[in-house]
Amino acid sequence: MEFSASPVWFIALPLLAAFSAPLWTRWHLLDHLLFGVPLVLLILALGLFPTVHEAPLLETIVIAPPLGIHLHLDSASLLLVTLFCFAVTLVAAFLWLGATDSHLRGRRPFVLILLLLVGGNGLVLTGDLFNLYVFLEIAGVSAYVLSALRDDRPALEAGLKYLIIGSVAALFFLLAVVLVYLQTGQLNLAAVAREFAAIPPAMQGLIALLMLIGLGIKSELFPFNFWVPDVYRGSDPAVTALFSGLLVKAFLFVLVHLAVLIWADPAVARVWLMTLGALTLIVAELAALRQDDMRRMLAYSSLGQIGLIMLALGFFSETTTAGAFFHMINHTLVKLLLFLVAALLLRRCLSLRLEDLAGAARVSPLAAGLFVVGALGVLGLPPFGGFMSKLWMLQGFAEAQRIWPIALILFAALIEAGYYFRWIRVLYAPVAPAASADTKTTPEPWAAYAPLLLIAGLMLLLGVAPFLLETSVVEAAHALLDRDLTLQSVLGVAQ
Amino acid sequence: MLEFLDSPSVLHGLHTIGSLTLFAVGLYGLLGKRHLLKVFISLALMELAVYLLFIALATTPGETAPILSDGLTAFVGMADPVPQALTLTAIVIGMAVLALGVSLAIRYHRLSASADIRTLADAKD
Amino acid sequence: MSQSQRVPLRKRVRVKTLLLALLSVWLLVLFLTLLLDQARDWPTATVGDALLERNAETASANAVTSVVVSYRGFDTLGEVTVLFLAATGIGLLFSAPRPPSEPAAAESEIAAAPPNEMMITGIRLLFPVLLLLGVYIVLHGHLSPGGGFQGGVVIATAFFLRMLADPDFRLDHTRLGALESLSGSGFVLIGLLGLALVSTGTFLGNFLPHPVASMGQLLSAGVIPLVYALVGVKVGAEVGAIFQDMRET
Repeated sequence: MEFSASPVWFIALPLLAAFSAPLWTRWHLLDHLLFGVPLVLLILALGLFPTVHEAPLLETIVIAPPLGIHLHLDSASLLLVTLFCFAVTLVAAFLWLGATDSHLRGRRPFVLILLLLVGGNGLVLTGDLFNLYVFLEIAGVSAYVLSALRDDRPALEAGLKYLIIGSVAALFFLLAVVLVYLQTGQLNLAAVAREFAAIPPAMQGLIALLMLIGLGIKSELFPFNFWVPDVYRGSDPAVTALFSGLLVKAFLFVLVHLAVLIWADPAVARVWLMTLGALTLIVAELAALRQDDMRRMLAYSSLGQIGLIMLALGFFSETTTAGAFFHMINHTLVKLLLFLVAALLLRRCLSLRLEDLAGAARVSPLAAGLFVVGALGVLGLPPFGGFMSKLWMLQGFAEAQRIWPIALILFAALIEAGYYFRWIRVLYAPVAPAASADTKTTPEPWAAYAPLLLIAGLMLLLGVAPFLLETSVVEAAHALLDRDLTLQSVLGVAQ
Repeated sequence: MLEFLDSPSVLHGLHTIGSLTLFAVGLYGLLGKRHLLKVFISLALMELAVYLLFIALATTPGETAPILSDGLTAFVGMADPVPQALTLTAIVIGMAVLALGVSLAIRYHRLSASADIRTLADAKD
Repeated sequence: MSQSQRVPLRKRVRVKTLLLALLSVWLLVLFLTLLLDQARDWPTATVGDALLERNAETASANAVTSVVVSYRGFDTLGEVTVLFLAATGIGLLFSAPRPPSEPAAAESEIAAAPPNEMMITGIRLLFPVLLLLGVYIVLHGHLSPGGGFQGGVVIATAFFLRMLADPDFRLDHTRLGALESLSGSGFVLIGLLGLALVSTGTFLGNFLPHPVASMGQLLSAGVIPLVYALVGVKVGAEVGAIFQDMRET
């Protein structure tokens, strides 16, 4: 047993740090640890890439699968865990360096952000159905409290709304887990996958529908995502950066992972997931056109990109899935950048409404410049990573001779260009900034921009040199889609 | 006279009807009620229905509790322990989420003097 | 005018209620036909039965406890985490100052109704008994029905009764926080110790000796009673803190 390389660390270390928070408060180490713990995990994850390249790591907890719980670290989950640790590191650096508002500092946000990381990591790592439910609740509850963190009326509305909808989603998922156990007597994902075909078809449909509703709500797919903009509007932009960059990605992965595992033939799941993805994409982009609040606009834009990722993942072909993984990385980077810029603009201009932001580029030119960079990244214009990932997805669809997804993606990009340029035009409008803007003229510390500049640099790097990620992304797609490999690597151990 | 109740299929059928009725009542309350506390009560009802369904259907009549006591010496003829353990976990999680939800509702009521879910749903800027 | 507006509105609400009830009943019938169809042949060979067969190896007389704490101990760790999160969130919500617009009505209500003599005496008698019962349930979790969660809640309830009987009784938040973090970290550290030791080699492995011969005794089953005691302390402290938070406001 390799002690240092165990995937348990991705869950145990932040958990330990969060549980012993009173100690860190007393020693004034909260900021350092909020930055340090994900950074250590990020380094660990990067160090694990060669090992996982050889064979997926399987960490048994107490008793070997299919009887017990295990953590399954393959190329796909490792890629996502790396992404999550990176996102939390960046947000922590932003919170530490930029002198942010008091409600984002201190013991409670520290605990909540670390446990959100625990939830995200657990969701992608666990190989057990009920354990998945537990991590779904951990990620969910930390997200509910994080969105209510500011403790004023919009924040409480966001938190309440998120809590009610999220509990309903968790309940439906729990019911599906219960039915699976009653039908098969198994909880391990691989064992469930093996036995699922023996369930009567009507029951299969019911279980799949319940899971789709539960995870569809959590991963913000179209008919179930009416609550998202309100939650994003009420929460802090720095927190929504984590929702959009970490939480949704984890749930998307779980949804596709389950769909691949329980259906040997992906044709049924393909129809459903691609339809939902396409609807999410088009409805969200159209709604984004009419938004007058930057947080709402970004929320709808995030939904659109999630629909795009779902569309590509749901096609279950290796090229589109690799493109989707690449796009997940790019989208996390872009949305971190845009939401953090929104946080800076909110602090400077005290409002994120369209009319209040007119001419904001004069007050904070760097933030406006970074917004332009982020907007170009979302649109997928050449020097940035988004271009390459969209290209891969389009190539995947073209190889399979599917024309409608290509047309849809290009049409959506056109709409995106429409509303992002509207916002850019307002930011650079030749009018004097609103009166409220110059009342608060304390300049941002330069250090606050350091994480943002790092993200912009990475986006540029991924656009110029996409081959850096190519092997790991392709391997991740392979690991996600190869059902037999997963079954064999899990159940082979048990025998 | 009531021996037929001991047959597993009858008993399981009754449990299914009971817990699903509870689920439907909860669903109705969730969709139809406007007061936040009533919504939380409905959610709790639905959760309860799921636990009940799980525990009831995973046990066949005649099995004892999976505990060695009262002269039992081997783990045979006992109920499946996993559903009980899972339900214990789920109950605690449900309780925690419910407590958080009620606290949010109380705080929201203090700030806005409203506990109506429609003001929540209509919330705009 | 308002009257004429109100009637159709009420009508509309009634139609909506009816539709909702119909929807619920329809779903109920759908579910019922599906589930009743399957209710006759639930599988017999489940994971739980396999675990029950192997349960003697944990030397815990209560098979549910060995599943909760050992075989599926990872779930329990997650569950404790959710409770911790909820307690953190509730603390956050109630630590904020009360909005100035709101008069301190709730406090005057409390002051108007002091606890009566019956309650004070009764709780004075009950408190030690409840505390003892809670400790007993926690420590005997691997022998009899009960365990950390149940016992922890009983202990917290004992303190809640004290709060009802004595308006000046306060639980110290820093001390509760220390207990909470100590027991939580202890749980994770025991898990990591199981991972580090060669004899077990898995997270949450049972690294203490647990001979089968000692099954049924208080000191048996290795780390299981230890972990359950930590869970009991943590649950007690968290639920107590939630009670205290809700009462202070």
